[in-house]
Amino acid sequence: MDRILDVFQRRDFIANFIIHIELSVLATLFGLVIAMLVAILVNRSDTASTIAINIGNIGRAVPSLCILVLMLPIAGLGFDNALFALTLLAISPILINAVVGLRQVNAQIIDAARGMGLSGRQILSGIQLPIAAPIIFAGIRTSAVQVVASATLATFIGGGGLGDYIVEGFQRGDIYISLAGALAVAFLAIITEVGFGTLQRTFTPKGLRLAQARARAK
Amino acid sequence: MIEFKGVSKTYPGMDTPVVRDLSFTIEDGEICVLVGPSGCGKTTSMRMINRLIEPTEGEILIDGQDNTSMSGTQLRRKIGYAIQQTGLFPHRTIADNIGTVPGLLGWDKARIASRADELLDLVGLAPDQYRDRYPAELSGGQQQRVGVARALAADPPVMLMDEPFGAVDPITRDRLQNEFLHIQEDIKKTIVFVTHDIDEGIKMGDKIAILKEGGILAQYDTPENILVKPASEFVQSFVGGDRVLKRLSLTRVGDVDLEPANGNGNALPRINAEWTLRDALSEIIGAGADRGLVVTDGESNGGSRGAITLDSIRKISHGAVVPRG
Repeated sequence: MDRILDVFQRRDFIANFIIHIELSVLATLFGLVIAMLVAILVNRSDTASTIAINIGNIGRAVPSLCILVLMLPIAGLGFDNALFALTLLAISPILINAVVGLRQVNAQIIDAARGMGLSGRQILSGIQLPIAAPIIFAGIRTSAVQVVASATLATFIGGGGLGDYIVEGFQRGDIYISLAGALAVAFLAIITEVGFGTLQRTFTPKGLRLAQARARAK
Repeated sequence: MIEFKGVSKTYPGMDTPVVRDLSFTIEDGEICVLVGPSGCGKTTSMRMINRLIEPTEGEILIDGQDNTSMSGTQLRRKIGYAIQQTGLFPHRTIADNIGTVPGLLGWDKARIASRADELLDLVGLAPDQYRDRYPAELSGGQQQRVGVARALAADPPVMLMDEPFGAVDPITRDRLQNEFLHIQEDIKKTIVFVTHDIDEGIKMGDKIAILKEGGILAQYDTPENILVKPASEFVQSFVGGDRVLKRLSLTRVGDVDLEPANGNGNALPRINAEWTLRDALSEIIGAGADRGLVVTDGESNGGSRGAITLDSIRKISHGAVVPRG
């Protein structure tokens, strides 16, 4: 136990802990922006939506480590490559949920909104996005947790982060160094999961929560 | 006033139009019911008024002004819109739902709030109890009331209603229809009302436009005239074999000239003046009598206003004019 705590106190551990968070936060943020832009762009077209969902599904099927390695020829080694690869990884779950979430808004609700004179933009921002918010947040949650976990792999392409300790421990035959890294990643992943779970509930409009509760009661 | 002038609609990639050369005029303050079998273009016709659908040919004038003279969204904010599944916004409170169009028109918050309360009152929902609730907390009938209130919010002169009472049980529907007719007596909107149910059309309409497949106007007239003088076999079969009885259901006993109630009134069936002639007929025949004693509410054991006879009902069923109450 003490030997794990020793690792936590190493100066470079704090630095890598911060790099890990930095990678995860930036990748999720970039992924979120890109996924939402694409989801909003394809919102009005059935064909474009289907294509976006399929690309998202392919993105999800490719293992995280593959994406990191596949990006090597383009982005080289280091933090930037890791960020680039993790951003790609972050896009898929958000994109799929956002496209599906925006499209599953009841056609009658959209028709009523149009019929009362809301513009396309007002329907998107005032009706579709709030109603789709819980689904979109579920996507962000999946994405963030996945990115936090996958950022561990950044060490293989010289991206730093907590993965460094897992690898170092194996190389030096010191399991406590590996354990320190693994525990820290697990901690970050759980914090992310719980944090976004709370956000998801917060961003679910009260009327929708009531509707969900009522649908369950039936 | 809404004027259809040679309006046709053909969807891209389709050979035959869904609405064909439609020309008719809806007068101010009237409920015009568009009715017909599915595929007759009634909803398409309605949706061309507020340009949710653009006609292929022809023009639609609202108070003499071409409805393409302003942008679609501007136009739609001036026209009330209520639909079958209500399309209430599930994430907004009842008051916010009702305040949608006033909000778009830039009313201040206090005015929107007081308007929402006023409309909740009008449709029979206590504002204190309902304004802060969400659609999911309301029954189907209550949601439809809110749907109507929302359509009335900015006090538009014209309202489009697409089966607004379609998604509730028959008893609730009947009550909502009656309440709405009562409200309409005061607000006198020009209303285009789409239904597939001819009975609802007869009940709600000042005029009925019967459309047949391919979007052709088969007859446009008052409910009385459509029932007494159907213009074609299609109309006759569409209004159904019981059209004589339907006509009787248009008239209330209290609106008919009664005969003096002489003789032994005690043996006669009691007919409430609020009943329709159809109900009266059923009651008289059921009692094996040839006349019934007309009474008003609260005096069923007391005085009578006179008697209604089978003979007078028969005359009305054949087209005798009754002043419509």
